[in-house]
Amino acid sequence: MKRTLISAATLLLCVSAAAALAAPGTVLRDEKIYGQPSSSAAVAGSVAKGASVNILAKEGGWLRVTAGKTTGWIRLLSVRAGEGSLGGTGVGDVVGAATTRSDPSRVVAVAGLRGLNDEELKQAKFNAGELAQLDTWVVTVSQAKTFASQASLAAVSVPALPEPKPAKAPSSWESN
Amino acid sequence: MKRKFTMMALVVSLACFSSVASAFDLGKFLEDRINQETNKDKAAQPAPAQPSATTQSAAAKVPPANQKIDVQQLGFALFGDYSIEEENRIGRQISGNLLGAVPLVRDDTLQRYVNLVGNWVALQSGRKDITWRFGVLDTEDINAFAAPGGYIFVTKGLYRLLNNEAELAGVLGHEIAHVTKKHHLKVLKQSSLIGALGQVASSKAQNSDQLVQNLIGNGAEIMARGLDKNAEYEADRVGMVFAARAGYEPWGLPEVLQDMAALPAKDARTSLLFKTHPLPADRLAMLGESVDGRFDALQGKDVANRFYRIR
Repeated sequence: MKRTLISAATLLLCVSAAAALAAPGTVLRDEKIYGQPSSSAAVAGSVAKGASVNILAKEGGWLRVTAGKTTGWIRLLSVRAGEGSLGGTGVGDVVGAATTRSDPSRVVAVAGLRGLNDEELKQAKFNAGELAQLDTWVVTVSQAKTFASQASLAAVSVPALPEPKPAKAPSSWESN
Repeated sequence: MKRKFTMMALVVSLACFSSVASAFDLGKFLEDRINQETNKDKAAQPAPAQPSATTQSAAAKVPPANQKIDVQQLGFALFGDYSIEEENRIGRQISGNLLGAVPLVRDDTLQRYVNLVGNWVALQSGRKDITWRFGVLDTEDINAFAAPGGYIFVTKGLYRLLNNEAELAGVLGHEIAHVTKKHHLKVLKQSSLIGALGQVASSKAQNSDQLVQNLIGNGAEIMARGLDKNAEYEADRVGMVFAARAGYEPWGLPEVLQDMAALPAKDARTSLLFKTHPLPADRLAMLGESVDGRFDALQGKDVANRFYRIR
């Protein structure tokens, strides 16, 4: 019962997301599309690297997408928001829409402002006052632990991720 | 690169004549080590994106030819490791310079909040010898910085892109990883091979802050130079794991990368970020290769309800 309710809610979310927030995405590697956000779900289809998809919704590590005639779930890390060639940064104008839940107006409001540049970093003079200000916000380990437990965050054992198989030269950062 | 090697060969030959080098063939020994270091350097820096970074800093640090060589200093550059005190001094100097270019946001609630999240994530890194300091920089530029010794900065522009605490944890995790993996120290160690030629070494008269400044170059330029691509990919992997270990859903960092991928390509707020980092699409693809189905069973939290929003 509860389960049905949740799926119904998800569905509702998907529908509203699809209506309001569909955003373009580009597939980063050959990948399967599943019927549910789980790799044990039935495979609904597959997409090739570079294919365009329409992102409808997000759930955990999964995106609900439409690719051609197939609609289903694909791994979040197998798609990037934005369309165009894989070399580009993406040319999205909706700031990830379904994937981000960002309020686009916040972003538009600050667009056009300039960023940091090399020269100002190079010319920067040591500011002891700001550094002292930084020290006033330092927190202790026990404060951090209390803060975590207030949101029911508990430490989880997660093994380190392997380095991806090197496409070309291996990294020397690990062995260094 | 060639010039750098020639310079090193010069040091080695000079070192041979110094009295310290009498016991054994130190010159030969150092030459072998320098060859190793130089080749390692070549292997580590194939990135065509920033070809001039290393050579530029090398050229900038050419000391006067008649300056004395401190063999001890050279030895450190080749074999030594920075102590936590040295690491701290280096990080303090870089951070003080960075703050000279961009001040901190004057919002105690925001800054305390970021320090609490950051410390909780950093606690999962296993490095207990560090006092972590987190700060939000008052600029609309979209970027984040780390300096040795546990100094971490996020710009207000990047903070605005975030939607929940898990995303903040992911971004901070990436920066914490740069510190725990000592990525900047490795870059500095490479350039200190050149610094050791005497500029940094004949130091008894100079104060230590000046010494550190000599090591890091001008102002906070080390932040504009960026790191090796592989260091960024590594920080992505490690940062995701730190956030997951802290109990957050591990997708925070990828979601922020997705947001960055969706920004207009010509946005001035990301020009430094994309100059010093691989493109978001490449970072997502690299993470995808590593993560695959490994996090499928994780049940992390996004902690959206207490996420502190700025105006």
